[in-house]
Amino acid sequence: MTTSRALDQFLSSVEKRAFKIAQFGLRNEDDALDAVQDAMMKLVQSYAARPAGEWRPLFYRILANCIRDVQRRRTVRGRIMAWLPLRDGDDDEEFDAIAQAPSHDAGPAKRLELDEAIGVLETAVAELPPRQQQAFLLRNFEGLDVNETASAMGCSEGSVKTHYFRALENLRAKLGEVF
Amino acid sequence: MTDPTDFEKRTQEVLEEGAARLDGRTRSRLTQARHAALAQLEQPVRQWWRKYVPAGAAAAGAVLAVVMWSSPGDRPVASPVEDMDLLADSDAPDFVDDGEDLEFYEWAAGEVET
Repeated sequence: MTTSRALDQFLSSVEKRAFKIAQFGLRNEDDALDAVQDAMMKLVQSYAARPAGEWRPLFYRILANCIRDVQRRRTVRGRIMAWLPLRDGDDDEEFDAIAQAPSHDAGPAKRLELDEAIGVLETAVAELPPRQQQAFLLRNFEGLDVNETASAMGCSEGSVKTHYFRALENLRAKLGEVF
Repeated sequence: MTDPTDFEKRTQEVLEEGAARLDGRTRSRLTQARHAALAQLEQPVRQWWRKYVPAGAAAAGAVLAVVMWSSPGDRPVASPVEDMDLLADSDAPDFVDDGEDLEFYEWAAGEVET
């Protein structure tokens, strides 16, 4: 299999989860899409020649850096914008009921149950401290093992375990009734 | 590695469902992003320098290199024929007359070599 084809398959397999992870971190769909695109570009630019087994933790490490870059730009922009009297408060949550309409078919009862669960869980995950959120999403959502997660987060395996454990505790406390 | 708990399985299932429900616009943009990233692999490596060196400058550089290479300042080493002409010159002084200074010339030649 050529590198291009293998990369295509890899990126195709992670793009949706990567977008959701970026969306949790940035709480804005367009910023999340930009972060994912930047991460894809950088992975292909700099790491296409690395063994395929290394792509996943590398990609998520790059994505974490892209998310952090956006957050920093927002902080700077926010400080500048605070001096502009005409600007209204940003409403980063653009909601389009039609565009956001899900496209999967499921039984009504099951769908309703899932709708509620998705909403509650995503709200709870979005409220996690950044490192707990990162560890939880990489371990639980993306399925990286402890070593890969440590590589993606740039920390020790012990730190990953601690962040993940605390994330689970936080989520259990918030979601116990629903889950 | 321990087996995931029911809570972990449930949260994973819900998160996966959330990802599966991405709208068409988002899925389309993700596909475009992927294609744009992979397009970088199609760019030939040999053209990287073309971004920095205009074609005219490259051609001028090549001409300059040829001119410098063929400069009259870089004369080839004199041929043995020229040496013989110098030695055979009838006006050349006779350095060795009756051998009296031969020892001196031998000494001088040794000094030059060192």
